[in-house]
Amino acid sequence: MSFFTFILRNMLGRPTRTLLTVLGVGVGIAAVVMLTGISWGFERSMSAIYQSRGIDLIVVRAGVSDQLSSTLDETQIDTIRAIPGVEQAAPSLMDAVSFEEANLVSVLANGWEPGGLLIKGLKVIHGRALEQGDTRAVMLGRVLSLNLGKKVGETVSIAGEPFRIIGIYESDSLFESGGLVVPLRELQRMMGREGSVTGFVVVAKPKVDPRALGREIETKLKGTAAIPARDYVQENIQLRLARAMAGATIAVALALGSIGLLNTMAMAVFERTGEIGLLRALGWRRTRIIALLMGEAATLGLLGVVAGSLLAVVGMRGMMLSPTSRGFIDPNLPPAAFAIAALMGALLCVLGGLYPAIRASRLEPTEALRHE
Amino acid sequence: MSDPAILSAEALVKTYPDGDVKAVQGISLSINGGEFVAITGPSGCGKSTLLHLLGGLDRPDGGEVFFRGEPLARMDLDAFRARRLGFVFQSFHLVPTLSALENVQVPMFESELPRRRRAEQAKRLLDEVGLSHRGHHPPRRLSVGERQRVAIARALANEPTLLLADEPTGNLDSASESEILALLTRLRQERGLTLLIVTHGSVIASSADREIKLKDGRVVSD
Repeated sequence: MSFFTFILRNMLGRPTRTLLTVLGVGVGIAAVVMLTGISWGFERSMSAIYQSRGIDLIVVRAGVSDQLSSTLDETQIDTIRAIPGVEQAAPSLMDAVSFEEANLVSVLANGWEPGGLLIKGLKVIHGRALEQGDTRAVMLGRVLSLNLGKKVGETVSIAGEPFRIIGIYESDSLFESGGLVVPLRELQRMMGREGSVTGFVVVAKPKVDPRALGREIETKLKGTAAIPARDYVQENIQLRLARAMAGATIAVALALGSIGLLNTMAMAVFERTGEIGLLRALGWRRTRIIALLMGEAATLGLLGVVAGSLLAVVGMRGMMLSPTSRGFIDPNLPPAAFAIAALMGALLCVLGGLYPAIRASRLEPTEALRHE
Repeated sequence: MSDPAILSAEALVKTYPDGDVKAVQGISLSINGGEFVAITGPSGCGKSTLLHLLGGLDRPDGGEVFFRGEPLARMDLDAFRARRLGFVFQSFHLVPTLSALENVQVPMFESELPRRRRAEQAKRLLDEVGLSHRGHHPPRRLSVGERQRVAIARALANEPTLLLADEPTGNLDSASESEILALLTRLRQERGLTLLIVTHGSVIASSADREIKLKDGRVVSD
């Protein structure tokens, strides 16, 4: 019999408690993995919008928390394009639309210039891209087309108006894949925001410092903020909220998991005081008693990590069944989320197992045997 | 067949804090190597407490225990209990989640034996106590007599020189009591063990080389 067999026998001898503890730890870990995964997927999706096009700066109205609530005069693009350090610049109008028949709410609608920088960054997989002169025409992201069950050539109703689907695109960003693109003029008209955009994207010329270029734009266009793309993603309010939620969940899950494991291990020690006394009477050293109980805690933690990771994968797939999640949440969890789960499992073992293990090791054989 | 003192005690005192009971009051004794000694006396006279003190399972409040002339207080007690001593309890104290064979291996974790040798040794010991056919059974599927045999095999796991038993037949019927006594006597002879048994029963006491009678925590006859 190996030492590990002894540990397993102890756990299998109390199957209900072992199962409940593993489930308790697993649920906490699943919550952490899912929220961390969602938060990182969100960040990755946002970064992809800008990275795939080499965008250096996002220009929005100063003081707004995100681009959706920003309003700028469309003609300011001319001032930006005239700055010597600017390679390319494009206006963007963002809004959210719903497709109630498909139970989809808050679908990202982009109004972009046909043939412009932003549209060129899309990979058209069916049909074609928007061109100058297209009216009542829309490009659907791959995920949105799947969610709506629509194909090129069909018609889709956007905010009560029929639009012809002229292309389906793929994007590295799930937000873009879950959204749609219409000509800028069309979206301005539909939303009653003629002459307005929510922001501009800017590509700096090679060797031009984007931060210096941003300061120049802000000087020339009062009331604007020209933010480096990476900073814009990092400071995005939704992303910060998602991060804060993930952080809070990790803290709560760690606390609850530790208390659960501590309770289980403390109960195991209490119930088995006589057995621990016996082991001490048979000459087991204190360190071996600690190794036994920490081994049990570690095995419970490891099983919790495996159960939690599986629950997280199933949970993410389950979330995809909800129309509100499709197109916003990336069901593929990054390896780092599982690494966090493993780290959390290890922390739980130490926090939950150490005190009962040390307490058990301090028992004198006679005192412990008397418990029976 | 007795060698000079293997185990001795000088003026042992043990008081339990709960109730301020003086369980052992100044007991001195000496056990020679190879001896079979029975410690007898009425309930609550301090027999088990004395055995626990002699076996290093508990620490005295006064006096000292010596193993081959060396004070236990200065020894590594874990190593003493693991290598020098085998202990048999009245209620067997087998680990319920382990098989008989695995129970015998539990003390061997403190030995240098590799896993395969531990298993071989455990099989040999179960064979020695006549239970080789019951090795894979958990304690709940063994009779009380068989459980005590497993506990005896476990006590011999690390080849001790001293075997201490606390009422080893206290939970057994008379037939099983005779079998266990015969087994302990045989093992003592075959292995040259020093046997120290706490007992209520006259059967074991009459089989011993020597009987130490206790009353109210003191030796009344030796």
